[in-house]
Amino acid sequence: MKIIKKAKDNIFLIVVAAAYILMFILKPDMGVTSIKNSAYYIKEMLMIMPVIFVLTALLDTWIAKEKITKYLGKESKVKGIILSFVLGSISAGPIYAAFPMCVMLHKKGASVRNLVIILSSWAVIKVPMLLNEAKFLGIKFMAIRWVLTVIAIVVFSWITSKIVKDEDIVQKEEKASGLTLNRESCMGCTLCTKNYPEIFGMQGKKAYIKSFDSEIDKERLNQTILACPVSAIRYNE
Amino acid sequence: MDIFTVALWIGTIVFLLISLKKDKAKTLKALKMAFGMGKGMLGSILSIIFLIGLILTILPPENIAKFVGGQSLLIATVGSAAFGTVTLIPAFIAFPLVGTLVDAGVSIVPSVAFLTTLTMVGVVTFPLEKREFGFKFTAIRNGLSFLFAIIIAMVMGVIV
Repeated sequence: MKIIKKAKDNIFLIVVAAAYILMFILKPDMGVTSIKNSAYYIKEMLMIMPVIFVLTALLDTWIAKEKITKYLGKESKVKGIILSFVLGSISAGPIYAAFPMCVMLHKKGASVRNLVIILSSWAVIKVPMLLNEAKFLGIKFMAIRWVLTVIAIVVFSWITSKIVKDEDIVQKEEKASGLTLNRESCMGCTLCTKNYPEIFGMQGKKAYIKSFDSEIDKERLNQTILACPVSAIRYNE
Repeated sequence: MDIFTVALWIGTIVFLLISLKKDKAKTLKALKMAFGMGKGMLGSILSIIFLIGLILTILPPENIAKFVGGQSLLIATVGSAAFGTVTLIPAFIAFPLVGTLVDAGVSIVPSVAFLTTLTMVGVVTFPLEKREFGFKFTAIRNGLSFLFAIIIAMVMGVIV
């Protein structure tokens, strides 16, 4: 059972590994080329991901929820939109580097619309990229594409915010303490919030883990975990 | 490392030192959290990276350029936009490549579509994005990005 679950969690990794094995059997030289091609991306990841994770965790620790909600939340309006564009544009790294940062911002109250703006501008309108583009394709080409892209992002981030609600975004909380809550299987029975209200709260129709500073009462947490009807709560030391 | 990555490192290190000075316990907790995040995402990121390596071997960007050059405008635009979604190519390869395309007389429309979907839409990053944000958010963000990439390309075809 546990192996099946592990395999299911890592299905993507398994498929990629299988593809490589197949390639090495059929066309070993192409396999080698693939590994070589990957090397650049590994380097890129090592250069950016450690700093992204540390920065995200630090911001998570020191910036109050109210602040993020105020500047990037639903009520932030035009200021929030501009701030999101700036945040995305001055960032570095590939689009997946934006994921942990955006998950943290959303947890602290950033709106869906601003999330889309940060992710998209992180991907396409980064400053070093624009310089590169101007060099190879001309300043005029770069400037027009930049203006059109910004307009497009403003429009489709608005559309996304009309379709996707906050509850649709899975809040997969991963705490340093090893406490996790699987929001996909949570059915919103509110038992955990009654058993341990200091840690668990309700958001939308599902439970979430609050940010808490106090030490975990293991006995009580254990009871809460056992009480959850769908075993959505996990705790690893 | 470009200047923004360097700035990010320096900024984060300064932030970390200030944080350590202010509250050591809290900082250590944050570092543990960062480590946990990294551990959680590492498997997915590695799969993405090796998958990109594989795709670039089977479909080298030069072949895509050849394909785009020989097609009608519509097929070239949708085709290059679609290829752009599949993989992630670093800007320093993508821009010179598109530059040579445009110089060789390929229309600007497929070139722009390719550039935009290249970075904004990700089929390879889809599983990771889905895990972090849920299916609905990911599907809609990527779908709309693809659609608007084509619109941007067409508008640029008219203007430039």
